[in-house]
Amino acid sequence: MTSAVSIPRQGSAGGRTAVAARARQVVKAYGAGETRVVALDHVDVDIARGQFTAIMGPSGSGKSTLMHCLAGLDTVTSGQIYLDETEITALKDKRLTQLRRDRIGFIFQAFNLLPTLNALENITLPMDIAGRKPDQAWLDRVVDTVGLAGRLKHRPTQLSGGQQQRVAVARALAARPEIIFGDEPTGNLDSRAGAEVLGFLRRSVDELGQTIVMVTHDPVAAGYADRVLFLADGRIVDEMLKPTADAVLDRMKDFDARGRTS
Amino acid sequence: MTVWKTSMRNFLAHKGRMALSAVAVLLSVAFVCGTLVFTDTMNTTFDKLFAVSSADVTVAPKGADAEEDAQNGVPESLPAATLEKVRSAEGVAAAEGAVVSMNVTVVDADNDNVGATNGAPTLAGNWTRNDLRSMEITSGHAPRGPTEAMVDADTADKHDLKIGDELRTISQTGDFRSRIVGIATFTVTNPGASVVYFDTATAQRELLGATDRFSQVNITAEAGVSDARLKRNVTATLGGAYKVQTAKEASDEGRADVGEFMDVIKYAMLGFAGIAFLVGIFLIINTFSMLVAQRTREIGLMRAIGSSRKQVNRSVLLEALLLGVVGSVLGVAAGVGIAIGLMKLMSAAGMNLSTDDLTVKAATPVAGLVLGVVVTVLAAYLPARRAGKVSPMAALRDAGTPADGKAGRVRALIGLVLTAAGGAALYAAGTADKASDGSLMLGAGVVLTLIGFVVIGPLLAGAVVRVISAVLLRAFGPVGRMAERNALRNPRRTGATGAALMIGLALVACLSVVGSSMVASATSELDKSVGADFIVQGNQRIVPGAEKAMRDTPGLAHVTGYKEVDATLTSPDGEKDTDGVTAADPTYAEDLRRPTTAGDLADAYGTDAMAVGSDYATAHGVRVGDTLTVAFKGGRTAKLKVAAITDDDTAIDQGARYLSLTTLRKYLPADQIPPNSIMFAKAEEGQQDQAYAALKKSLDAYPQYQVRDQTDYKQELKDQIGQMLNMVYGLLALAIIVAVLGVVNTLALSVVERTREIGLMRAIGLSRRQLRRMIRLESVVIALFGALLGLGLGMGWGTTAHKLLALEGLNVLDIPWPTILAVFAGSAFVGLFAALVPAFRAGRMNVLNAIATE
Repeated sequence: MTSAVSIPRQGSAGGRTAVAARARQVVKAYGAGETRVVALDHVDVDIARGQFTAIMGPSGSGKSTLMHCLAGLDTVTSGQIYLDETEITALKDKRLTQLRRDRIGFIFQAFNLLPTLNALENITLPMDIAGRKPDQAWLDRVVDTVGLAGRLKHRPTQLSGGQQQRVAVARALAARPEIIFGDEPTGNLDSRAGAEVLGFLRRSVDELGQTIVMVTHDPVAAGYADRVLFLADGRIVDEMLKPTADAVLDRMKDFDARGRTS
Repeated sequence: MTVWKTSMRNFLAHKGRMALSAVAVLLSVAFVCGTLVFTDTMNTTFDKLFAVSSADVTVAPKGADAEEDAQNGVPESLPAATLEKVRSAEGVAAAEGAVVSMNVTVVDADNDNVGATNGAPTLAGNWTRNDLRSMEITSGHAPRGPTEAMVDADTADKHDLKIGDELRTISQTGDFRSRIVGIATFTVTNPGASVVYFDTATAQRELLGATDRFSQVNITAEAGVSDARLKRNVTATLGGAYKVQTAKEASDEGRADVGEFMDVIKYAMLGFAGIAFLVGIFLIINTFSMLVAQRTREIGLMRAIGSSRKQVNRSVLLEALLLGVVGSVLGVAAGVGIAIGLMKLMSAAGMNLSTDDLTVKAATPVAGLVLGVVVTVLAAYLPARRAGKVSPMAALRDAGTPADGKAGRVRALIGLVLTAAGGAALYAAGTADKASDGSLMLGAGVVLTLIGFVVIGPLLAGAVVRVISAVLLRAFGPVGRMAERNALRNPRRTGATGAALMIGLALVACLSVVGSSMVASATSELDKSVGADFIVQGNQRIVPGAEKAMRDTPGLAHVTGYKEVDATLTSPDGEKDTDGVTAADPTYAEDLRRPTTAGDLADAYGTDAMAVGSDYATAHGVRVGDTLTVAFKGGRTAKLKVAAITDDDTAIDQGARYLSLTTLRKYLPADQIPPNSIMFAKAEEGQQDQAYAALKKSLDAYPQYQVRDQTDYKQELKDQIGQMLNMVYGLLALAIIVAVLGVVNTLALSVVERTREIGLMRAIGLSRRQLRRMIRLESVVIALFGALLGLGLGMGWGTTAHKLLALEGLNVLDIPWPTILAVFAGSAFVGLFAALVPAFRAGRMNVLNAIATE
């Protein structure tokens, strides 16, 4: 299985397609000739709108590369990536930057916040950069959802790791992006703080209708998603709907065993 | 050994980050070495010239000084009979009489001065065998007879003179015309003097005013007779009435005169190099501080696996040593280049210097290397110590250590104490009664406030940056806010970067205030006290022909001569001084209105009367009616009655003692009366413009004199001070360039340090343009911070310095706001310029690499 195109292209939600983002025959290769390394090997993916998608795979499987390409942070060697109906692989840096600013949210594993800005300033930063006024009611709701109301004036250094990641989640949500990408957003957190952050992500999908794509190697984290894509050697090798942590873990073990015997 | 290896590797790994520090060391060392090589080369040039042009032994009148004219404007001379006497002395192979005068102006047929106008002298004399030691006739022949002349090839080239062209020589004894029959070329480098030769009789008659006299006698020794022995023989023959010198003594005397002048240039330039070094120190401290901060985890790891503090410390200092050596070696080489450049520049300005004479003494590279290395290592000492203090725990923590609160308070205290002490010293200087006490306090105040400001710079950075940002960055929204925060996040760094710029700009501000106050004071003084319409002066005292032309000019109500006369003054309390007196036409009292504290100035121009200044009167208890003894040099001693005491609260003629020309003539024989140093004239009522034109026309034949009305005179004064300031600004530019490098350096290192932040911001949608703008704004804020501090400090210094000048009669304080504001605005541009490359590089950073950096 090299494709995860399983959702009908035409949807119903407000004239938008049901697919928030899609990748078509995406190849990402580094180097040339003998030293050529293929990170993504003709990948086709559809990301469903209003769903929480997890991308899993062993180290070096290309999962982070796939996310970076989908998010317009990295360029592809060939193939197309669409965000809604916009082909982002055709965009120049300036338009791409605008697209990231206005239509995409990010949560990284670490170093999500600018140390010179306080929590609130970090949350509104993408809108500030765009010169837009944040929607105050929405902002209040987001801040409330992630439980940061009392800490908005704190600098990142005055917040715990879990709190910092929650600020990052709030920032990603505040601008109402079409899609949020998370790169191991709980990778640096202990299990309690991690569960908190994942809970917020889940709720933002359920209650706010947010689309989220998250790269992780943690089956527990993947258990919060609606759908898990498994990557190996730059290809999509499997997919699981309505996953549970145990099921994901079993599937991963399966891959490991296959990997060892083959 | 491992320490050496890690230092070496670190140095090479960070060569980009070291580059700007190396350039700062290079520039400072290059300036020092350039100065040394240049001045040494100049000295070599003069040494060679003097060595080759001095005869074995010379006999000159006692008291003759090559650099100065005799009082009456005719060169000192000795009787021609001396030559015969010298020839009779034992060991003399040959002796010839030489005539030389520096008090001449030579003009071509168009009345253009063919002499150097850049301060180098014009020499006129007879062509002797001695001249063949340094020159050879390259075309035509030596002058013979009263109408022939020969000029040096450089002068001929510069003024397009050919054989057959007519020259007019203007000396104290009159004008005379001659035709060029020969051109002689120097066989050594002639730095710039213009030389004109005549035959002996013509030179004697026209330059000395007597055919039976010589300026000096040049003697050649017989084979085997040493110069010293010859000198003894000649002295024995002539007695003690003459100055007898060996070649070495004569050239040493010439060298001493030139050497003094060269030393002034040398130390002034070294002073500016010193300022550049000082600024460079800030750059080096910043570089190492930032490298150490960036490497905190690495250092922590080294400490954790067993490196001692000393080893860590030493590894940083070793890097500094490498930096110092690389920068200095390149600097020494660049210094020779700078010296050659300066020589070319001087050539363009009309001064001949040959690269054949290029003198690189062993001490020059040694001085450059030692200075560069020592300064670099010293500057790196503090960051190195901080590196040594990094705890092994740092390896486990995230990068970036919070600022040390306690150190901040100690720093604030020290800084405030220093600044307060400096302020007190400046206040003391401003209120001093005597300029000498005041300048000492001023010096102390300048140094203390400077150090104080440097120390509290990081604390001021917080407040000042906020103010600047509030005013300037508002318009830039969130980008402006982030720029402000970035400038504020490390106040020590911002403080040191700004302080580097502060130093240069403080000096600029101080000098501009002083210069502008000088112009304003002098202008107001001129407006207030000068009654003359026209002022005539030049680099030769006014020859009788020019004076006559001036007095014959129509439309003038009066013409005033002004002579400076050598005399010894004895006050009633028995004190003697040799400051001389001023003799002028009585109309001078109208040309320069001097208020008196007692008596009437007009009375001082009566026979056997004089005026003294109020300072002198107070010091010696002199009152109107007292009698002073005035012994005129070369004349009689007079008893003159004090008729007026002039107020010394003035900038013009402060302390001058006036008497009339009539009185002077009574005590000084006509041939001893000095020519006018300056002359004044007043137009007849309503004839101002015509008279100005007429006066200029009558002095056409004397291009060495400038005729100026009050407006032109003021402009000239302004131009002169402006020129001087521009030169100083030019030299300060070096320090400012180093400071700008410092801003570039800080930004470049900050950008590297903030790679991840930049990546994050780019990821969430900051455009390249916004990112670049953010870095530029940070740079502008840092630059303006330095400018604000520097200009404030400099204006404080300037105002204090002006208070001291006010004691010398320069009363008007004029703060040149246009200049100050231009410098401030210029600093913003400097900031933009400094951010160019760092901003470009930040914009080019790959977003993913930036995020991935660990």
